Amino acid sequence: MVDAARQPRIDVRTYTEVEKVEGFVGNFKVTLREKAKHVLADRCNGCGDCAKVCPVEVPNYFEMNLAPRKAAYVPMSQSVPLIYNIDLDACIHCYKCVEACGPLEAIDFSQEDKLVEEDIGAIIVATGFSHFDPSVMEEYGYSRYPNVITSMEMERLNNSAGPTAGNLIRPSDHKNPKRLAFINCVGSRDKRYNPSCSNFCCMYSIKNAVLLKQMNPDVDITIYYMDIRTPSKGYEEFYDRARELGIHFTQGRPSMITEDKETHNLFVHSEDITLGKVIEEEYDMVMLNQAAIPQPDQDHMSSVLNVAQSPGGWFMEYHPKLRPMDSPTDGIFFAGACQGPKDIPSSVAQGSAAASRASRILNSEKWEIEPTVAVVWPERCSATTRGRACGICAKACPYGAINIFSPEIPAEVVTAKCHGCGACVAECPEDAITQLHYTDAQILAQMRALLADKPEEKILAFRCHWCSYGGADLAGTSHFEYTANERGMRVMCSARMDTDFIYEAYRLGAGAVLYSGCHPQDCHYITGQLIGAKRAERLKKMFERMEMTDGRFRVEWISAAEGDKYARVLNEMQTVLDNMDKDELRAEIERLKPDMEKRLKKFPNVPGVSESMAYSDTLVSAINTQKKEPA
Amino acid sequence: MSHSGSSQSFADEVKAIPGGEFVELCFSCGTCVSKCMIQQKLEPEYNPRRLLRMVIMDMKEDAFDSPTTWLCSACDLCYPACPQQIHISGVITAVKEIAVEQGGKTTLKTAAVDQQTCVSCGLCAEACPYEAISLVQTKVPYRGLVQVAQVDPGKCMACGLCSAVCRSTSIGVPDDYTDKALMENLWDWLQPEGVTF
Amino acid sequence: METKPKIALFQCQWCLYSEPDQYWVDHNLPPSIRLMKVSCTGRINTLHILNAIQGGADGVMISGCRPEKCHFKEGNLSALRQHEEFLNLLDYIGYERDRVRFVWLDLQDRGRIQQELADFENKLQELSTANTLATRINAPEGEVHV
Ligand SMILES: Cc1cc2nc3c(=O)[nH]c(=O)nc-3n(C[C@H](O)[C@H](O)[C@H](O)COP(=O)(O)OP(=O)(O)OC[C@H]3O[C@@H](n4cnc5c(N)ncnc54)[C@H](O)[C@@H]3O)c2cc1C
Ligand code: SF4
Ligand code: SF4
Repeated sequence: MVDAARQPRIDVRTYTEVEKVEGFVGNFKVTLREKAKHVLADRCNGCGDCAKVCPVEVPNYFEMNLAPRKAAYVPMSQSVPLIYNIDLDACIHCYKCVEACGPLEAIDFSQEDKLVEEDIGAIIVATGFSHFDPSVMEEYGYSRYPNVITSMEMERLNNSAGPTAGNLIRPSDHKNPKRLAFINCVGSRDKRYNPSCSNFCCMYSIKNAVLLKQMNPDVDITIYYMDIRTPSKGYEEFYDRARELGIHFTQGRPSMITEDKETHNLFVHSEDITLGKVIEEEYDMVMLNQAAIPQPDQDHMSSVLNVAQSPGGWFMEYHPKLRPMDSPTDGIFFAGACQGPKDIPSSVAQGSAAASRASRILNSEKWEIEPTVAVVWPERCSATTRGRACGICAKACPYGAINIFSPEIPAEVVTAKCHGCGACVAECPEDAITQLHYTDAQILAQMRALLADKPEEKILAFRCHWCSYGGADLAGTSHFEYTANERGMRVMCSARMDTDFIYEAYRLGAGAVLYSGCHPQDCHYITGQLIGAKRAERLKKMFERMEMTDGRFRVEWISAAEGDKYARVLNEMQTVLDNMDKDELRAEIERLKPDMEKRLKKFPNVPGVSESMAYSDTLVSAINTQKKEPA
Repeated sequence: MSHSGSSQSFADEVKAIPGGEFVELCFSCGTCVSKCMIQQKLEPEYNPRRLLRMVIMDMKEDAFDSPTTWLCSACDLCYPACPQQIHISGVITAVKEIAVEQGGKTTLKTAAVDQQTCVSCGLCAEACPYEAISLVQTKVPYRGLVQVAQVDPGKCMACGLCSAVCRSTSIGVPDDYTDKALMENLWDWLQPEGVTF
Repeated sequence: METKPKIALFQCQWCLYSEPDQYWVDHNLPPSIRLMKVSCTGRINTLHILNAIQGGADGVMISGCRPEKCHFKEGNLSALRQHEEFLNLLDYIGYERDRVRFVWLDLQDRGRIQQELADFENKLQELSTANTLATRINAPEGEVHV
């Protein structure tokens, strides 16, 4: 940290919050709120005389409130830069500090928050994690029993720079505890609170046990666990060492802690699973390894930065395996626990990776992005045709990449921000936007080729690039058998699955159509799937009203890992077709055709579509004649 | 134990009964066991975690023989404590249902009715937390066809609530905590001088 | 030496005492207190309490699980209902209702049963010594009918 502060090209802004992020990769405009410290950074030399004279004491957050601090304070002794801060909520305005500071005149009570705007090329988010408050778990008595502490409190109590100078004492009587219990998974792996694993508690629980045991071999330590997770290099060996040192491991999740009112000793009730027997053991002190949870302001930060969140609330990476340090927004990267709980080695690795990713941007003249971006045909936008831009595209875009400056000016795509999901393209009621490499015309040509021959036997499956396409792929590589009548169509996101494509498929006489994409939480385009899903629901209801046979239009969310599901869904759709009388099916197709045609009336006007139709007609007849002529 | 893929496994049977759906989520963490008072106060072999395990591992016979199947009173102390939010007593009840269907019998001494004195007032049926009592037309010696209380041993948990409300002392759990035992215990202690029996 | 009030202690067999508390109740109760275990407080017939009082007990304490923690779903609520009615009866016949006490205990209430009993003992000592139930009848000779 000190090194970072010394490096001339690193500017450390402490006590500063990000208020607003605008712009795009390489060209962000970031508004920062530099909060008032009431101490002038360029004058304070960190001597601490102000804190010495300050008469006010409040709990010290850094010491987990186990020690006091003054109203004039630094968060911790190693703070970088070492600039004091006056806590106005606690200050009684005696001005003793001003006196103590003397000729330096570093204290300025009139200072106010300052908003500054900076040009930023790339952003690395490293906001870390927060801690689950175990006092909501009544059964463990935290905050009711003085000697039940959290792991963070333990970190301070056995730290030589902590409030007790590393002398582990228990809160009730300040005696050194001899019998300690550590309880893992407090609020983690618990559907009532946080279903996920917090990743590092098993290891720090072992670490603390080993540290305490090395300092004082007399202490008796038991770690209660459901599973011990030691998945990294050297971790299992460390676990072994803990066992060699005589630390006890009891498999069994305690159901309750009770306290002796007089001695404040604690009794941990659990089943010892290996014995199959309920045990009640007495301890002097119990440490709860509380779950790692997202920061309380994580939702707010995610909307400021316009990055998505995974189901647990952590920031969502672009790709879990291949791009774990990238956010879905170009130029914004993640480092450390903000993206999901991880220990220091993994946080550092991710941080270094994010830094090198960011430096690629800072050192490039030009920045290449995926070519599949959206483009507006200004002459088709309702701003031009009717003098009023409807703004539907801007609302659909998960990245805020579409600007509508005024109703008369056609929508504008900020190419650098566009990720190519195609939501705007499919949503635009005027067909005024197209997506390069996934134009309506291109998709149409593919569809027509796929449905050229005996369309009523075919199942046209729209798959999104990231999930259901992968699922289909996996079904293939895993040799899950599924119907040979499936014809797959890839688009980038379910958001691109235009209603026109579906109508066209039925107009061409398709037997069935599958509308598939990622599960909502897996969407690669933040909210693309939601847009696709809403549209799919609308279509489903409409087809119901048209009395289309149930199952001929199917909507399924299939992840890249669900090859079995892909195969099952396709087979089920095949069964629907098999169970239909062929003539009945043909009659239904014919019955619905006029309706589809009506809905597609404007479709041929889309640039390229009629050409594509003419071209594919030739293609289709070529395919059909070739088929009929024996080779 | 069998892992035959085709036929319906024991877990499938249990999952098909409402309450048994989530049995396979069990971590085997033991929270339920240490919440439960039965192992600690009554039956050392009692263990809900193991019963869930038996269901998952297709150990039907062992499950039917386990006291857990028969002694769970559905007090649901464990339910709010389970980190997987499994309704454990729901699973156990499902196992019991299957066991009863396939001829299993409870190991509990369930309540019995004295058909000679029962007046069919129905107070016991109202008091029973398990809805194990119904009033049924029965042929009773000397009394003929009359309506008397009848206990379903598949449901009765031997709590004795019925005997506390019965005004004609016609129903109760035969062995444990009988009125007689209670009163003698009291008398033993109080025993006003000079009076013995 | 002052004689201690006689207390009949009805305990539900599930009642969530911690191990040492339960051991104390099972093995180390002073002779002035008699333990009567029942399957559930809902199992207690008002007759049992009445008999205890008539037989010469100075007070009756009923200890059961907390309402939502009854081993038999709702047995202790049923007990409470009966108990309240019974207290009204005591009022009616002019017997101090304070001599019958209902307590709810939890496993987390370590050591509370001892304290509750001590409190109750004090309370009983405060009450008048003329505690004989007006309708008190001497136990009949011979067989006891229950
Ligand atoms: C009790 C305990 C013991 C542990 N022991 C070990 C161990 O021995 N070894 C190990 O490898 N790991 C250990 N860990 C895990 C370790 O703490 C994490 O891996 C590590 O802290 C993650 O680093 P980070 O930088 O991502 O997040 P953090 O350390 O959480 O840092 C995030 C920083 O961002 C700041 N911040 C948050 N929001 C904002 C915002 N909006 N604007 C500006 N700043 C913000 C926070 O104030 C904080 O300073 C332990 C964890 C716990 C709970
Ligand atoms: S919705 Fe998708 S295609 Fe349209 S502008 Fe936004 S990112 Fe690009
Ligand atoms: S508490 Fe839940 S997860 Fe744990 S053993 Fe019992 S049923 Fe299984």
